[in-house]
Amino acid sequence: MKSSLVRQALILAALAFVPALGEAIYFRDKISWESPVAASEMVTVDRSRAWGDNAIWVDARPEEEFDRDHVPNALLLNEDRWNDLLPSFLEKWSPKKKVVVYCSSQSCNASREVARRLRGEAQLKNVFVLQGGWEEWLKTRK
Amino acid sequence: MRTRIFALTLSIVICVTARAELKWDQTMIELHPAAGDKEAIGHFKYQNTGSNPVRFKSVHTSCGCTAAQSQKEQVPPGEKGEITATFKIGDRTGTQVKTVTVETDDPAKATMVLTLKAVIPQELEINPTFVFWGQGEAPKPKTIVVRAGKDFQVKHLKVASSNPEFQTKVEQAGNGQFKIEVQPRETSRMTGATLTIQSEDSPKMFYAAARVTNAPAIQ
Repeated sequence: MKSSLVRQALILAALAFVPALGEAIYFRDKISWESPVAASEMVTVDRSRAWGDNAIWVDARPEEEFDRDHVPNALLLNEDRWNDLLPSFLEKWSPKKKVVVYCSSQSCNASREVARRLRGEAQLKNVFVLQGGWEEWLKTRK
Repeated sequence: MRTRIFALTLSIVICVTARAELKWDQTMIELHPAAGDKEAIGHFKYQNTGSNPVRFKSVHTSCGCTAAQSQKEQVPPGEKGEITATFKIGDRTGTQVKTVTVETDDPAKATMVLTLKAVIPQELEINPTFVFWGQGEAPKPKTIVVRAGKDFQVKHLKVASSNPEFQTKVEQAGNGQFKIEVQPRETSRMTGATLTIQSEDSPKMFYAAARVTNAPAIQ
């Protein structure tokens, strides 16, 4: 009786695996995963907090979310108004400082895009993406 | 044993015949907005090809720049509809891929990921968009290269500096390419300028920045 139940369970699991495998193959190019970011370009909340005044915080979220709340002294810089906002950011920027870019959570992509443009188009060094984003920062807010 | 086989067959038949299913015309849409467009809109059309109604539980997007809306909350069998995804272009450039995740009460396919790809034309490619000098550094000119984007022709380029402390000189480098030499008058104090770059044939403005910073340059 017991072995029969195990056999049935295995058969059901095998049957469920077939469509799952098919879907994984069929949709492999159809889902936009997060753009890959090298581990060296990510930074944790603890590490970035330890940088203190040597870090400039950049909020890549939409303006409404920034207005509701943001990391103290963070500058708004998003792709909705990149051309308007970039000059104010550059005024505060210094080659001595590290730049920490964040968006809402680990799954959002805006911080990665803003960091990519700062590194690529403006050719800035020491630009990091905050792991876990605003959600993670909130958990450790004192 | 016979009873078991009958029960299994019956449950499969019920599942197959009484299912609800949204059939999508396309789960990925590629859009090519024109230069200057403010938004790009994708229409994901569907039909309920099952025999039960399908109810939308949630529709959410991968980015604050995209809004998605369902025409109706419930789709009766046989009925058609669409999810409209509106992507706000803003100052984004290049190819943008955004997703819309649709959750329904369809047990066969509760979650569907729809992909909106927008290829934004780029009239000018500017590299780099920022040049800087450290305080006290020799005020030598630095170069910004501007290229006409794919499918664009640029014959002349206009460059204006917001601060007379920074002078600019434009040189044609051939094949739709230009070099802008930017030079500060002096680097003894912190200052900056926004450079407005414009093709003579287009109203669209592009921007670059030049600054004298408070630290040695590492460019």
